Amino acid sequence: MAAEELCYATIREISSRLRRRDLSPVELTRALLERVERLDPRLHAFVTVTADRALADAKAAEAALSRGVHASPLLGIPVGYKDIYATRGILTTGGSALLADWVPDEDATCVKRLQRAGAVMLGKLITHEFAFGIQFPGHRFPAARNPWDLERMPGGSSSGSGAALAAGLAFGALGSDTGGSIRGPASFCGIAGLKPTYGRCSRAGVLTLSWTLDHTGPMARTVEDCAYLLEALAGYDPADPASSREPVGDYVTPLGRGVRGLRVGVPREFFFEGIDVEVDKAFEQALATLRQLGATVQDVQIPSIQAAGANMVILLAEAFAYHEQDLRTHPERFGEILRERMLAGGLITASEYVQAQRLRARLRGEMTNVLRSVDVLATPTSPKPAPTFATVYDPEYGFPRGNTSPFNLTGLPALAVPCGFTASGLPLSIQITGRPFDEATVLRVGHTYEQATGWHTRHPKI
Amino acid sequence: MTLEELRDRMRAARIEIPENRLELVRRLLTDALQPIHALDSRAVRTLEPAVTFDAERARDDHGR
Repeated sequence: MAAEELCYATIREISSRLRRRDLSPVELTRALLERVERLDPRLHAFVTVTADRALADAKAAEAALSRGVHASPLLGIPVGYKDIYATRGILTTGGSALLADWVPDEDATCVKRLQRAGAVMLGKLITHEFAFGIQFPGHRFPAARNPWDLERMPGGSSSGSGAALAAGLAFGALGSDTGGSIRGPASFCGIAGLKPTYGRCSRAGVLTLSWTLDHTGPMARTVEDCAYLLEALAGYDPADPASSREPVGDYVTPLGRGVRGLRVGVPREFFFEGIDVEVDKAFEQALATLRQLGATVQDVQIPSIQAAGANMVILLAEAFAYHEQDLRTHPERFGEILRERMLAGGLITASEYVQAQRLRARLRGEMTNVLRSVDVLATPTSPKPAPTFATVYDPEYGFPRGNTSPFNLTGLPALAVPCGFTASGLPLSIQITGRPFDEATVLRVGHTYEQATGWHTRHPKI
Repeated sequence: MTLEELRDRMRAARIEIPENRLELVRRLLTDALQPIHALDSRAVRTLEPAVTFDAERARDDHGR
């Protein structure tokens, strides 16, 4: 396998080669570290490359494999962590000048779980400032660039995770998602990203943006790889008050069951407003493919979907509550855009916050009802392909509404899967959403579609 | 939300935002609050928000 091919292999392929002993975790890790060293100066996906730690992890994996320990498919697999996940003894910045020198003394639960499964820690991946700001030129931590077009954003806030995976710099990554920060970068970078059900994966040790909307979850180049990562991540964590005791399912085995007989609902309101023509065309083609694969597709109604804007009210108010003291005492240490967004949260009244939570309950009830008549919902992940940095840096750009935040409000599991490219070669994505804790069906639909289309096999020329 | 309403809120919350950024913040809040202000709260007959208690969870958290 050529070096390029190796770096774009799937976790299943790599894991199989490691077990056959025709590839060593150390050799693999060295290949990725070399690739990071060569490409990352242009991509800025990494904040910190933990080369020594990666090689130590790889040697430990090699020793385990030589003892015949094959417990986890993640054994010896190099991964990266969004830089809001605490990592013991390793700089964790949150993309913020406030935390530029913070070295935690404990790993986040999700980091512990991937490391326990034998994953190799390649390093920390850049995030938008506190998972919410935008890194303008001159920011202490430069913005990650989209491997498909370096003049475009990779999405955010898990920007480094999306860029690293699309560029073949890691086999898996952790992101976080408060309004779409896993699925947005997955969409713009042409990879898969899963926001699991609220409470499915622990938030303990992950910097907070908004307590009731924050989700942690996996990102990878294929849906199956997301399933492998989810199997290691999912499960109750007493350190996270929102953690669920719902039993963890088998996410990998059901992937091959296809979609014949499954019902796909398409909510036509809200999700198609202002949509790009190429996004719309790719999405309709994806629905046609799902029909050909045996699924039934029907339009569905979510009466209160326009209330999804309540997500921003909750996010702003909770982010202000979390950061208020620093905002009042060290405002200069926040980037300008982030500071204004967070201060806006301090201008929301208590009544408005409570009403937003009430709208949220109504929307959650309606979506739960709709998901009694269909198995999953399908929408475009993003209404438009990745914007240029010049567009985003324009003060008039503001904060455009996305298609992902309704599922943060409702806590439902939602997956972004590549569904084509624009004429100019930018990735497009379909979002599959399911019932609470039914990640298995969401992943199954995404995997079946992905394998039938092969969009995930295209890689950017960097 | 008008700029004057925004300034009133800033005074009440003791929050300062540069004058040349007020319009952006006004737009952000106006968009975000639109569904809240469109809501007739008397028509929503839910018992939300609510707190739930789980006896078993509480035991675990306190080191049974």
